[in-house]
Amino acid sequence: MTPTDAEQALTTRLEELRSRYLERLPDEFAELSALQGRLSGQEQDRDVLDELQQRLHKLAGSGGSFGCASLSIAARSLEQRIGAWLEAKELSLDAPTRRSLMDEIEALSRTVPERPERPERPERPAFRVAPEARTTSDSTLEVWLVEDNAELCRQLQQQLESFNYEVRVFRSIDELKGAMESREPDLLLVDVMLEQGRENATERLMDSPQVQALECPLIFLSANDDFPSRVRAVQLGAEGYFLKPLDVPRLVNRITQIFEERRAPPQRVLIVDDDADLAEHMRLVLTAVGMEARVLASPNDVMDTIATFRPELVLMDLYMPEYAGTDLAGVIRQHEAYTHLPIVYLSAETDIERQIDAMGRGADDFLTKPISDLQLVAAARSRIVRARQLEDRINKDSLTGLLKHASIKEAANREALRARRIGRPVTLAMLDIDHFKVVNDTYGHAVGDVVISSIATLLRQRLRQSDIIGRYGGEEFVAVLPECEAEHAQGVLEDIRRNFASLDFGRKGERFGCTISIGMVCSAAYPDQDGPGLLVAADEALYKAKRGGRNQVQQGFPAHTREVTD
Amino acid sequence: MAELQRILYVEDEPDIQAVAELALETVGGFTVKICASGEEAVRDAEAFAPDLILLDVMMPGMDGPSTLEALRGIPALAEVPVAFMTAKVQPSEIEHYKSLGARDVIAKPFDPMALSDQVRRIWQGAA
Repeated sequence: MTPTDAEQALTTRLEELRSRYLERLPDEFAELSALQGRLSGQEQDRDVLDELQQRLHKLAGSGGSFGCASLSIAARSLEQRIGAWLEAKELSLDAPTRRSLMDEIEALSRTVPERPERPERPERPAFRVAPEARTTSDSTLEVWLVEDNAELCRQLQQQLESFNYEVRVFRSIDELKGAMESREPDLLLVDVMLEQGRENATERLMDSPQVQALECPLIFLSANDDFPSRVRAVQLGAEGYFLKPLDVPRLVNRITQIFEERRAPPQRVLIVDDDADLAEHMRLVLTAVGMEARVLASPNDVMDTIATFRPELVLMDLYMPEYAGTDLAGVIRQHEAYTHLPIVYLSAETDIERQIDAMGRGADDFLTKPISDLQLVAAARSRIVRARQLEDRINKDSLTGLLKHASIKEAANREALRARRIGRPVTLAMLDIDHFKVVNDTYGHAVGDVVISSIATLLRQRLRQSDIIGRYGGEEFVAVLPECEAEHAQGVLEDIRRNFASLDFGRKGERFGCTISIGMVCSAAYPDQDGPGLLVAADEALYKAKRGGRNQVQQGFPAHTREVTD
Repeated sequence: MAELQRILYVEDEPDIQAVAELALETVGGFTVKICASGEEAVRDAEAFAPDLILLDVMMPGMDGPSTLEALRGIPALAEVPVAFMTAKVQPSEIEHYKSLGARDVIAKPFDPMALSDQVRRIWQGAA
């Protein structure tokens, strides 16, 4: 058979399978209707709903393989709705709910197309999916370094390892390419000038399809600030270009920042649209690119849903039968906490005046239906990114990216209360860089800033994602470790202290090290103290560490136990 | 690296069995054995000696996860990569299935023309 014959045979066979599937569908729809007819509105509906859910699940899982993508989507939406009913403690479906279920089950047959639809491919959208974050704070990240200068290699390796990165060194591009056959690093760091300057890495890498397809971030190091190399770096998608002599702490900060951006929690979108199929379609599209999307079940639940789901963007249909989108947006805006929540209208309306009117009532923008999947994703993504940046500007310290004084104090308070409520201890630590004034006076504020951002990086790296870290003052930091016993916290903090002491800082060839003193208290030892009280106690423990000779961790105990133990 | 050749597919629905067989044999050129239940898979898998096993999650009797557990108990199959097939593809569910020991999760409905490539990618990731 020629390839075309083979293709023809395949198409024919697929057509046969499809017609067989379609032949059986009417029976399946009849079964679904019959089941639905048995619903009484009472608790005993549970068994019927179970069966309905299972059958719909099968339809959802099969339709698309037989050219009935819309059937899959509609069945999935019904399946999920029934699932939600089944999860409720009490089951009572009122008559209107049952009627609408009946309508939708009957509507299933109308989703079956005459001609096969292009199958849904949630796992392979037409656009590039953000690489799944492989990174968690528990696993070690691998950095591959292509560098032929042994001294620089040693220095980079040591510093990166202090930040818990695993470093693998390659002397040449060929060595790198060999290793890339089997796997990829988490980040690639490449010196532009290799082979004593005879080889330009940006040129070599431009020719490599392997590198072009690279998913991991790429950073270049270079002794020469030449424009063509910089442009090639951009074309290769590099996320950084660092000039020698290298400012290693800045490089490490940049690397950590890149990983953190990739580790950011999924973006959350709430979809409000009375067209259940369209809403479900949008949900699938957004979910496929790694966002968390939810469809609002009933307009009445809008505030509850926002409070529990905490969306970062609301996609709102402008015209809905019960309430207009502008009404719901107005209700959302009545709540002070949500005045900044971005609301974007979806509407078939092209009438510019009505859109302007709607904008005057609390909307951020308009997307005009029909909106393509690509456009939907791009619009949602960029708005959430902007909203997050704004949020960060408000709550976070610009140098370190840690929480500001007020926010970390609030977090300490909140966690102290929570600890008492759940009966698990919280540990608070206060950290202060030793003799920081000398660093600033000797090397200048720019170097001081690098020292500060290094400890911030180290804290973020070594603590869990659930821990909360803030810059409390100039060179003073607070870490709140929920559900953490004193003994464990002590180990982690010791580790941070040791690693910080091993870092090298420098300016123009001068090198120096820094140390940090840490005071910590565990709520288990202070059952009656609230957040502010624990902070005062941690400050006292920090003072003890300073007096004890600095570069150490001290744990605080309440005065009366100290009298007993001393 | 050995080539992916033999695939065991465990699926209770005849329609899906047929389209998967076509997708994997004709499009992908694999040798495929279909089992209609978890029990059948546990009985026949060792003799077939698959390179990769695809398991439907929701089946009457033994479901996908319990079939996986039983297959893992057969020494000759303990290392064979397994992927689940399911119509539920929430990220949390994918993580859950992976924590059970699956290499990956394939979303249903699958595209018959793309299934083989997808399976091959999973195999390459696992090998």
